[in-house]
Amino acid sequence: MPTPAIEVENLGKSYRLRGIAKASLREMLIRGWKQQQSEIFWALRDVSFTVPRGASVGVVGPNGSGKSSLLGLIAGTITPTTGTVRTHGVISSLLELGAGFHPDLSGRENVFLNAAVLGIPREDVARRMDHIIEFSGLRDFIDMPVRNYSSGMYVRLGFAVAVEMNPEILLVDEVLAVGDLAFQMKCLERIRNFQKQGKTILLVTHDLVTVEQFCDDVKLIHQGSLVAQGNPNDVILTYLKTYMARIGHLNVEEHGTREVEIKDVRLLDRSGKPATTFTTGQSMTVEIHYVAKKRIEQAVFGFSLKTGNGFFIFGTNTQIMNVPVPPLEGEGTVRLKLDPLSLMEGKYFLSLSVHSWDHATQYHRLEDWYPFSVKNESTAEGVFHLPCTWQITPGT
Amino acid sequence: MSLIAAVTQHRELLWNLASRELKLRYRGSVLGFLWSVLIPLGMALIYVFFLRLLGGRGVPLADVIIGVFAWQFTVQCVNSGLNSIAGNANLVKKVSFPRIILPLSATLANTITYAMSLIVQFPLVAILFHTTGNHFSAWLWLLPVVIAVHLIFNLALALFLAGINVVVRDAQHLVGILLSAWFFVSPVMYNLDFVTRHAEKYPWAPKLFFLNPLTVIITAYRSVITAEIPFPREPMALVSFGLIVLLFVLSYRLFQKLQKDFADLL
Repeated sequence: MPTPAIEVENLGKSYRLRGIAKASLREMLIRGWKQQQSEIFWALRDVSFTVPRGASVGVVGPNGSGKSSLLGLIAGTITPTTGTVRTHGVISSLLELGAGFHPDLSGRENVFLNAAVLGIPREDVARRMDHIIEFSGLRDFIDMPVRNYSSGMYVRLGFAVAVEMNPEILLVDEVLAVGDLAFQMKCLERIRNFQKQGKTILLVTHDLVTVEQFCDDVKLIHQGSLVAQGNPNDVILTYLKTYMARIGHLNVEEHGTREVEIKDVRLLDRSGKPATTFTTGQSMTVEIHYVAKKRIEQAVFGFSLKTGNGFFIFGTNTQIMNVPVPPLEGEGTVRLKLDPLSLMEGKYFLSLSVHSWDHATQYHRLEDWYPFSVKNESTAEGVFHLPCTWQITPGT
Repeated sequence: MSLIAAVTQHRELLWNLASRELKLRYRGSVLGFLWSVLIPLGMALIYVFFLRLLGGRGVPLADVIIGVFAWQFTVQCVNSGLNSIAGNANLVKKVSFPRIILPLSATLANTITYAMSLIVQFPLVAILFHTTGNHFSAWLWLLPVVIAVHLIFNLALALFLAGINVVVRDAQHLVGILLSAWFFVSPVMYNLDFVTRHAEKYPWAPKLFFLNPLTVIITAYRSVITAEIPFPREPMALVSFGLIVLLFVLSYRLFQKLQKDFADLL
């Protein structure tokens, strides 16, 4: 097995809750008397993983989950409290564009300074100066102090320098969130180039679409722990399910008397294979396997859909749709077919329920239980994909 | 990483940061670099004037000029060293490189300023010697050695204060007071003769005086520049030299020990 690019083992980083700010002499004296009572906060705890050479790994998680600490630890700007980080290869970070920029220096002077900070040899910068200025689009302003730059200009210049780096491992932290759309496209294109050259990329972002497009592996970090990793689609769905529920937009829960129990649910795509991603305009089938512990007359099966941020889209049941349900006893299967699936690209949650005819008894309800994603392969836009046909008759 | 490896591997960064410091120091001022000569010169004139007024004749102007220029070098290294980490929080938190580069680059910038101010100081001292009938010492070629020892001492202070100021922020306030006290116990505006004359009753006092590394350094400057000032054959001077080396080693170790927490504390 070739050496991985990044090896993280039992990595942990703790901060003293009151010690995060700089200590004053007085505090130190007091602390000296009351031996180390301050509480400890673990920003990251017991994280282990390896990143193979050439992989693109996304790191997702809610704010304050420890993503940036992880990147800082890998970059070497922060020292681990426990565990180790080993990296193999030249490492560069797009943690902050324009690191070391001084407002009173001109753009040109800052390019040299910034390049030195990023470890780009001076000759390379001198040789590529024209290209850097061109890329940043700041030809007329390059000899002006960066104090007078707009924040966009500042970032553009920083990025123009940063792309001159030639690392084997690239760490990216939310850089894509700054700048206008054109600039973001440039960033993504550059990162794609790195990918093509077989560089290892670690990408921290809240932009789940980008993560899904770019990465072959996603790490989900929550409250300092690595809670899920692997296939981007699955991890992102897990992320939405656990996190969105926590902040209250979704309520992932299960309840009911279980006289009828939903045992196994499979989401099938158009070819009948289990899937987590579906395509707009094609079919989606929900296969529900149930077990009735006793004979149940006139049960009602229902379903509803919500978007990833908890917006209720649609719900119906066999009662509303006048679908006859035979008495349930023992095992059985219910198939729900959505054809065509009129949802547009995004993450969705499926709720399922089975209850009595008069709604008095909830046998089993799985609220926001089944996440899935939808891809839109056409370029049609909007909230829903409406089945439509055109008829054009020239002349009258 | 050892000090030498850090410097050789990151010499471009070291140089770029030092030149940033130099560029920014006098940016926007009309006289620019001249200030680094005018300030110590102005101070020297003031000291000589008031010293004559208060203490009578005794300390030659050339001695005071040499003393004040050297003192300024140390003061600037102390002040820029103090803020070399705390004032670059952005870099320390975001970019990984040996942190020692920061105090090193600040000290490098000050050394360059000092070297340039010495070039101006030289003809000034020559003119003064001409008017007073003094001569340059035959030991003048040892000047670079004195500067090197002075530099090691200043670097030790810069490293010590850079690290300490991140952990205990009171350091920067304390340093202000300590500097004023230190100025008076160092032979900046006076010389060794002045001390011996005023401490005739206490012959051990000048010996104790040598425990201050700046006493050795400033006296060494004067004796390698001026023919009439011999370097005192004082065993305490050796002790003081040992102190400088010891201080450097300890400061370096302390800095290396503290640096792993810099990003957390800033």
